[in-house]
Amino acid sequence: MKITFDNTTIDLVPTDKSYRVTLGDKTAEVEILRAKDGQLELLIDGKRLTAYVSSDGAKRWVTVNGRTFVLTKSSGARKSGGGQHHAAGELTAPMPGQIRAVNVREGDAVTKGQTLMILEAMKMEIRIQAPMDGVVKSLAVKQGQTVEREQILVVVAGQTSKV
Amino acid sequence: MFNKILVANRGEIAIRVMRACKELGIKTVAVYSDADKNALHVQYADEAVHIGAASPKESYLNADALIRAALDSKADAVHPGYGFLSENASFAAAVESAKLTFIGPSADSIRAMGDKAESKIRMKKAGVPTVPGAEGLESFSDFEKAADEIGYPILVKASAGGGGKGMRIVWDSDDLPEEVDAARREALHAFGDDRLLIEKYVADAHHIEFQVFGDKHGHLVHLFERECSVQRRHQKIIEETPSPSLTPELRKQMGEAAIKAARAVNYYNAGTIEFIFDPLLSTFYFLEMNTRLQVEHPITEHATGLDLVHWQIRIAAGEHFPYQQDQLSQRGHAIECRIYAEDPANNFLPSTGKLLQYIEPRGPGIRVDSGFRAGDEVTHFYDPMLAKLIVHGESRELAIQKMQTALRDFVVHGVVTNIDFMQAVLAHPDFADGKVSTRWIENNFNWTPPVEPPFESFIAASLADIVVPGTKSQVPGLNESDPYSPWKTPSGFRN
Repeated sequence: MKITFDNTTIDLVPTDKSYRVTLGDKTAEVEILRAKDGQLELLIDGKRLTAYVSSDGAKRWVTVNGRTFVLTKSSGARKSGGGQHHAAGELTAPMPGQIRAVNVREGDAVTKGQTLMILEAMKMEIRIQAPMDGVVKSLAVKQGQTVEREQILVVVAGQTSKV
Repeated sequence: MFNKILVANRGEIAIRVMRACKELGIKTVAVYSDADKNALHVQYADEAVHIGAASPKESYLNADALIRAALDSKADAVHPGYGFLSENASFAAAVESAKLTFIGPSADSIRAMGDKAESKIRMKKAGVPTVPGAEGLESFSDFEKAADEIGYPILVKASAGGGGKGMRIVWDSDDLPEEVDAARREALHAFGDDRLLIEKYVADAHHIEFQVFGDKHGHLVHLFERECSVQRRHQKIIEETPSPSLTPELRKQMGEAAIKAARAVNYYNAGTIEFIFDPLLSTFYFLEMNTRLQVEHPITEHATGLDLVHWQIRIAAGEHFPYQQDQLSQRGHAIECRIYAEDPANNFLPSTGKLLQYIEPRGPGIRVDSGFRAGDEVTHFYDPMLAKLIVHGESRELAIQKMQTALRDFVVHGVVTNIDFMQAVLAHPDFADGKVSTRWIENNFNWTPPVEPPFESFIAASLADIVVPGTKSQVPGLNESDPYSPWKTPSGFRN
């Protein structure tokens, strides 16, 4: 099975009691000794490693050897034909702030450029606009909610990309 | 002694103060804003009073609400912590007029040191060295004469100025005419006022401060120095004691100057005299006094073995400070790193969010003062400092190694932190040599985060996706032989 983070694809092949993990030209035999509360104790080619992993939407916070990295998992809906990227309609917060107004509901038809919600950040109002004609697939935030940078606010499904 | 103390602050410092109260058998009252209803400092107190909305102006800076909370909860003293109202003379006076004890210096001392111009005049009068300078200069020969007296390099500054406008560094007397003219033009343009002053420019200045402590009976000592030169945007991020820059002779001179400065304003309780230190000439100048407990007080506690908050409380209650100067000494080496929720790769912008994981390091000689736990929200309302990591070792070298190890064990997910940045500073040869000046990060330190995450991080992330449903669930089917079991594939990916 394959999992993609950012632009890197990892191939996992289950073996007897471990996994063969491949990334490009690197391969390792990995055994999971313990997995609990976001903490993984691994045996990688016979060497012990404790890793900490948290998920936050598509984001993965990973700490190994005292360093923390943020990886973003690519959507699983890759294999759908037309090449239309699924995430195109995912609108995220450009900066941390508070949702001042939500103008649409899930299922609403929207047109390109329509203001879906207003984010207030650093005394500015930022319009979150529909990138294309389509339907509001999901609303991830409510009015008054505080959001972080890059947090997903709303997903618009384009009319052309039926999943 | 007091029965009950209200702590007019939040976060790690509120908890630090309450811990001291508990140790001394004193009841504690926390105050909180809307945003802090479930904060750790509220949980830690014996009782808690809501004082207003999340915005500091309406809560932690609201003197009336704080004093009312103290009176309503029948506290007999108020500890202001640092920041917020801790250096506000009117607040200290208002606390005292409400027949409560302010745990800190007198309102008069706070006022005297609060005005930078007045305090400089007072310090000069008391014989404390201040940055040499000259004002009211008219003709070019006035400038020439004053600059020669002060000695190059000098700083030409707009009298009306601020923000670096109209400010020029002059390294040599040959450049003086040109730079004075340029500074005059800039000053006139920016402020409509072309008056200039000149000041000694300390090129590779270190920030070295002295902790002073006095009781209400006129006894005043210093508790040695803290070197706080590692700064970003004029804010300290790493502090240590002893300072690698000082000789015993300089330490003695600066300590005496610090006591002189504090005595000039009849100081009691904990305070800090900040000096600019010129490592080339081994000279030092009074910068300002902080009339409160400092963020970095723990390193002094480890080096001297004294609990500063205990003594703040006992002195406020009227006790005598029992130690003479010659009974005090420094032992080993202590370092503090301030762990901030901020992104060093993005101009140190604060990072907000929910702490998905938060694991503090532990071990001999390691102390963490913090106000957060996993699951807490880091909001944009308050200072983004998550924790202070303090280590104490036998020597500077061992303390640095201990800090590097402790930082490796500090896990924070959900907000970006400066932990990797701290590691890079600690590993730099300039830091090892004690050569870091206050503008070193700005001018000499180029840090870039690693571009490629290591193979191990991808291994961990991909396996976590298979075996750990969500963020913190158990792994029910880990021992099953079928890795494709639906137990293990909660997320929507297909192979």
